[in-house]
Amino acid sequence: MKVLFKEVHELFLATQFTGFMSKTTSRHVLYEYANIFFRHLTWLENDFIKRGEDYTYSVEQVPIKVTHISHMYKNIIDRIDSIESKLNSCKDTDITFRMLSDLIYIKSSIEKLPEESVASAFDTKREYPNVELTDKARDALTIFLFEETYKEYELIMVYNYSKAHSSDAFLNRIFQILIDESFFHLRSFGEMMADMGILGVPRSIMEEVYKFDDLEQFLKDGIQEEIGAKEECKRLAEAVSSSSEYFASFFTFINNQENYHIALMQEALEHIQ
Amino acid sequence: MNADAQLMEHMMNPQNYGELEDNNATGMGKNPLNGEKVAIYLKVKEGEDPIIEDIRFQAIGCTTTIVAGSIITSEAKGVTFSRAEELIAITLGMLDNVPPEDAACSEMVALALKAAIDTYTARQKDSDFPMISYKISTDCTPKEEKINESTI
Repeated sequence: MKVLFKEVHELFLATQFTGFMSKTTSRHVLYEYANIFFRHLTWLENDFIKRGEDYTYSVEQVPIKVTHISHMYKNIIDRIDSIESKLNSCKDTDITFRMLSDLIYIKSSIEKLPEESVASAFDTKREYPNVELTDKARDALTIFLFEETYKEYELIMVYNYSKAHSSDAFLNRIFQILIDESFFHLRSFGEMMADMGILGVPRSIMEEVYKFDDLEQFLKDGIQEEIGAKEECKRLAEAVSSSSEYFASFFTFINNQENYHIALMQEALEHIQ
Repeated sequence: MNADAQLMEHMMNPQNYGELEDNNATGMGKNPLNGEKVAIYLKVKEGEDPIIEDIRFQAIGCTTTIVAGSIITSEAKGVTFSRAEELIAITLGMLDNVPPEDAACSEMVALALKAAIDTYTARQKDSDFPMISYKISTDCTPKEEKINESTI
């Protein structure tokens, strides 16, 4: 079951990041399938919790550097085949029946998706379509995208873990909003990474990051991190504003979203104090 | 491949990242100022000068730490402890020549590697010896931020 859990997590990442490579409507199909795999992950997670079994979010690095998207489709199908062969390690047949049905359908659907050349997602050119970036703006944006794609993935998993272990409806509403918001940010930044030719899957998250003992401290630290992220967005908006009006307004938009995250985390903090 | 392209490769695909389940020594490098840390896991082949057969690292830290971890662990894989100690000394010796925020990240990785080697060595005498953890001495605050702080 632990291997199954890990492989479903890796399948979610492989599918999500393949979505970033695509420049066609396949992107949104892959996003939806990544959502389904993420739900599978949470159902298996709940089964661990119900049985009082420990688990982790550790994954192997997911290689995605390919020239054509069909290579990733084959990789995803191979991953699904491997998962299918391990479904019986989960004893909840309602989950595994549903998973198997999804996997069979998704496999047949992915096989039919059109071919695309995706080499530009990995060419490290660090150029953005229709935007003249200064060297300073290019470097700032590069570091920001690597830092933030990891951070958003980490936040998704941290809030997901917290939600899985909480039966407090008030907190869980907040955790779910923050998960949804982080998905949007992850997808925005992932698409930008692919556009700049620097796409990579974030590293695995250390266990102590999501298995914390003190929710109050975690929220306090999280608020400080959000404030830091806001500052980073502000700095970046300033650095890229001379290069691109679009980027400047995009990072201001993201920056303002962080305000609501801070408000939600403060609300959660007041609720538990 | 030029230096920039190599750095991008380490960012996009960090080498040796993750846990090493069959490790026989671990070590930790920590930044006490901001809570960042690097864990290094070693699989060591016994000998007069033991050999690092496999190495992995994990980090709570920034992209620079991940790049430093990827580069240093790639260099340390397959070498003897003596060579790894040289690598640590070279890394620590270069810290004055790089920006403080980069120096702190490299120091953290180098000290984690040293901690793992020292843990392995100590465990040859006492198998229950706990994992060694070293704290970095470099302050990773960029110089311009320090100037701003001191003028407020």
